[in-house]
Amino acid sequence: MSESRPVASDALMRVVGLDKSYGGLKAVDSVTFDVHRGEVLALVGDNGAGKSTLVKAIAGAQPPDAGHVEMEGVPVRLHTPRDAEAAGIGCLHQGLGLVDTLDVPENVFLGRELRSRFLGVVPQLDHARMRQRTIELLDRFGIHLPRLNDPVIRLSGGQRQTVAISRLLLQEVRLVIMDEPMASLGVEEGRRVLDLVRNMRERGISVIVISHNLEHVFQLADRIAVMKNGRLLDVVETAATTREAVVRMITFGEAA
Amino acid sequence: MNESPGAAAPSVAAIGHLDRRWLFEGLGLTIVIIALAVIFSLINPRFASVVNFINILTQSSYYVIIAVGMTFVITNAGIDLSVGSILALVTVIGFELIKEGMHPGLGVLVMFALGGLIGCFTGFLVSYVRIPPFIATLGMMVALRGLALVHSAGNMHYGLPSSVTWFGQGTIVGIPVPVIIAFLFALFGAWLFNHTRFGLHVRAIGGNREAARLAGVPVNRIELMVYALMGLITALGGLIMIARIDSTQATIGTSMEIHVIAAVIIGGTSLFGGRGTIYGTVLGALLLSMMTNALVIAGVDYFWQLVVMGAIVLIAVAIANLRERRVSALAFFPRSWFEGRT
Ligand SMILES: Nc1ncnc2c1ncn2[C@@H]1O[C@H](COP(=O)(O)OP(=O)(O)OP(=O)(O)O)[C@@H](O)[C@H]1O
Ligand SMILES: [Mg+2]
Repeated sequence: MSESRPVASDALMRVVGLDKSYGGLKAVDSVTFDVHRGEVLALVGDNGAGKSTLVKAIAGAQPPDAGHVEMEGVPVRLHTPRDAEAAGIGCLHQGLGLVDTLDVPENVFLGRELRSRFLGVVPQLDHARMRQRTIELLDRFGIHLPRLNDPVIRLSGGQRQTVAISRLLLQEVRLVIMDEPMASLGVEEGRRVLDLVRNMRERGISVIVISHNLEHVFQLADRIAVMKNGRLLDVVETAATTREAVVRMITFGEAA
Repeated sequence: MNESPGAAAPSVAAIGHLDRRWLFEGLGLTIVIIALAVIFSLINPRFASVVNFINILTQSSYYVIIAVGMTFVITNAGIDLSVGSILALVTVIGFELIKEGMHPGLGVLVMFALGGLIGCFTGFLVSYVRIPPFIATLGMMVALRGLALVHSAGNMHYGLPSSVTWFGQGTIVGIPVPVIIAFLFALFGAWLFNHTRFGLHVRAIGGNREAARLAGVPVNRIELMVYALMGLITALGGLIMIARIDSTQATIGTSMEIHVIAAVIIGGTSLFGGRGTIYGTVLGALLLSMMTNALVIAGVDYFWQLVVMGAIVLIAVAIANLRERRVSALAFFPRSWFEGRT
């Protein structure tokens, strides 16, 4: 159901003139773009193009050198991951960002723990409720982990990925960013992530998804943004482009 | 689908699980302790008396307390070499204030405040100035010992009011007060470690600092709090120690850090951070105190005790490394001790 979108009025987030350098290297070079409400925007580009750096800036994980981000026309301060969360931005970072030594519920709820009161006064972790909610979340992926209280380092790559993605479903989000969410998933688990992304879109949540898998990109995305050497080359409607054109842009930097 | 997550059922399951894990972790060590106790008793019957066992428990009390704090520091992927010096400075100052007529309660309060402040400063150095923990606390160890010596070089303080010595010498229904305090404090430490947000954040930072940061954990603040807590806890340990022996001097607590760190490692806490056990730490501290006691009874002098203690630490680290399959010489001690925070 692709309807034509009037530009500015539909923008949930607007990124304006973002810059980020590492020493002399311009990892992100004055990047400006919009994310529409309820769209899936794919972000593609070669290794080292600057995708993760851009995403980290938007997620408050690494403040940019210059530029700013607006949510629904209002500039937001994104200096910490908590700022981003408060602005309704959820992020799955590349490499998942799990703590290997913690167990599954602890990883899922890290940074937004559920608490009860010990003896009615002292706040303490509500392990039972976090465990219960974790089971429910994992159920949505059809995943059952027999030993939730083992450190997540003992899980398989796909199971770990599911745990990381579960974190996104906890908070009230308006925008979800996923940096290579399908990197180590099997076919079945990958399909569930695709379903999840579609489901988010149906609920009006915008999704930025980074992927090297153009097949997934073309299945999922409403629009495709292409980065090269820190610059955002172009944002194109998926329906109005071809895989070959996107590959050409990624490799040679030719606008379609 | 039951709407309320049936408070009883899952929590019992979760606790049951935790207990099993604890039991398993502590089991090997418990067996070692019992076996050693039997061997020592066979070698020297004087070891086997009830009086001596109570003596061991009492001697271990301040090590248990300080080692519980050290468990937080090491699980946070840090190390604190300055505990012995903090203990010395805090106790010589507290002792003198009380001796000079300050109300004992107030004097004790000053000790805690001083310990906490020193810990805050160490935490600040590690977390915000980004001095690697090994170096920062080594510097503090030397500097604070120097301050303690400046304050009372060569002076032996003694003669505390009984309201203070009660903490080290009193008994409640026959059980020494320091043992009761250490026991309650270990329970509190286990709760803080496993059942509070603070404890979870400490374990998360030690496991993967960057992931913790990305998840929204205030890593610098938590790390500062860990060292502050260590300072406070050291003051508590110091209070009980000086109350027990009713004296202190600037050299008290020398090489205490090695004893405490050894207890934590022997207990099974990972030197590399992220995984720790308060229960194991308590057992580790008990084991060490038992061995020290056996050496004393056997007439081994203090200098040789130090040699044995150092050897135990090295063996414990080597075993821990094998257990975690980090056998390369470079990985012998965690890099996180020598790296500044980013
Ligand atoms: N912390 C850092 N310090 C220094 N340079 C960095 C750092 N992080 C990234 N870079 C550099 O910035 C550039 C962009 O990196 P980035 O991780 O954003 O690329 P990417 O598009 O996500 O690549 P990939 O597809 O491989 O994940 C690269 O040249 C990288 O080497
Ligand atoms: Mg990347």
